[in-house]
Amino acid sequence: MIEARGITKRYGPFLAVEDVSFTAGKGSVLGFIGPNGAGKTTTMRILTGYLPATAGDAVVAGFDVFQQPMEVKRRVGYLPEAPPLYQELTVGDYLAFVAELREVPARGRFRRIGEVMELVGLTGWERRILGSLSKGYRQRVGLAQALVHDPPVLILDEPTSGLDPAQNVGIRELIGAIGSDRTVILSTHILAEVEATCDQVVVIDRGRIAAAGTLDEVRTRATGGLRYRVELRGQDLARAVGGLPEVRQVVPSDGTDGFELLEVFSDQDPRTAIAALAARSGWTVRSIERIQPSLEDAFLAIVGREDVVTGSTS
Amino acid sequence: MRATWAILRKELRVYFVSPLAYVFLAVFLFLAGVFFYLGITLTGEASLRVMLGNLSISLLFVLPMLTMRHFAEEQRSGTFELLMTAPVHPWAMIIGKWLASLVLCTLMLAGTLVFTGVLAYYGDPDWGTVATSYLALFLCSAAFCAAGLFASSLTRDQVAAGLAGIIILLPFWLIGQAASLTDHPGLASVLEKAAFLTHLRSFTRGVIDTADIVYFVGFIFVFLFLTYRTLESRRWR
Repeated sequence: MIEARGITKRYGPFLAVEDVSFTAGKGSVLGFIGPNGAGKTTTMRILTGYLPATAGDAVVAGFDVFQQPMEVKRRVGYLPEAPPLYQELTVGDYLAFVAELREVPARGRFRRIGEVMELVGLTGWERRILGSLSKGYRQRVGLAQALVHDPPVLILDEPTSGLDPAQNVGIRELIGAIGSDRTVILSTHILAEVEATCDQVVVIDRGRIAAAGTLDEVRTRATGGLRYRVELRGQDLARAVGGLPEVRQVVPSDGTDGFELLEVFSDQDPRTAIAALAARSGWTVRSIERIQPSLEDAFLAIVGREDVVTGSTS
Repeated sequence: MRATWAILRKELRVYFVSPLAYVFLAVFLFLAGVFFYLGITLTGEASLRVMLGNLSISLLFVLPMLTMRHFAEEQRSGTFELLMTAPVHPWAMIIGKWLASLVLCTLMLAGTLVFTGVLAYYGDPDWGTVATSYLALFLCSAAFCAAGLFASSLTRDQVAAGLAGIIILLPFWLIGQAASLTDHPGLASVLEKAAFLTHLRSFTRGVIDTADIVYFVGFIFVFLFLTYRTLESRRWR
């Protein structure tokens, strides 16, 4: 469980994060999305107890981050943006060190390290020197480090940055699997990743929450309600459809094959009403479909800037 | 305690898997050899006085280089974030790192026992003086490491940290000489009391003075405390 209430962080005159509040329950994966420099990392650092907040408070795993930071630190697994590795150590030595710091009991510590290494796909890599690993493997070690003490809360800052597509899929599956009985927060600016792994989204822009909710809610709200596309053949279509109580607005456009294409905006599903109207009026219906707004569209609508990376790592 | 022990072992591992520890041991023992040879040939005494005196000033330059990576490197590589988000008190970290560099110092000093052996074989040294001189070197090392650790907490640049360590320590060495240059008796006595050499003198004569011990322990504590404050304040920036 993570609950943030009005978190504000100021660096001198610069307001990095302002009044950020959200809740993530057990078993949910919450995605933080936003352009670079929006305040995602700062918010996460505050939640891990690394940075103090200027105002606001946060409860993580049942403890107040600012009153009982040690208790929170015991229960949080954290993967910073760059995996915090000691280049000189081997994978095995490094994980043993972190496990000891993280209070994994000496009895069963090595079994636990073995389990975690298997989970992230590092089995057989314990003698490798961290400095010689590729980016993908460094990321895996970072993830193993965050999981070694079996924390109920996981905070992952851009867990898939720098991975190739196959590794990306692997990490996403892993996050899905470990997220089922934990609370996971992850940040990214890759929207496909949010679609694939998260059930809740917080869009953060210039330090403020611009939108929050389930994926569907954010998509719908950002793009101005539900949208449908209707292809009909008949008389006086736009006016008649626009007269339905479920419909807010109709934008007609040219269709093909003698059909007229209408874009219908609405707050509640008008599809059956349109079908019934068509039947009463003797129209021919070719299609009535919901337009699923993409998260990209939603994101751009929320953030309102074109300079945002939407498909690839920057 | 658990975290201190874990960090101490980690630091030693990092020292010994890299060439770092071996280079330091080699350089230090080479210097010790040179000073031992010069001491014997120049004075003709069966004593380690010259060697130990020169080693203490060498340590002033060597030890900040040994401790410079401790916090600077953690901050540069981002592992500082790992330590600070683990259930570890900053003091556990500081003590662990300080003890690790002290273990290496002890090894360096232990290496010079070879020369003591040579002395014992060919001459008849005053063992009491030898022992107190080693104690003085050890206290000196512990103090230099504490100051070096503090320098390392100031920056994420290792070289800058190393130089800062030397710059912090050097005045404590030089003010002893400065004391003789001033006419003001009060100032002279303050400078005299703050200098390392003043507090090393009685050790080299085989005397353990509580005031000297207090000086070194106080010096260590002040610099470890400053390190603690710096680490704490880092989080606020």
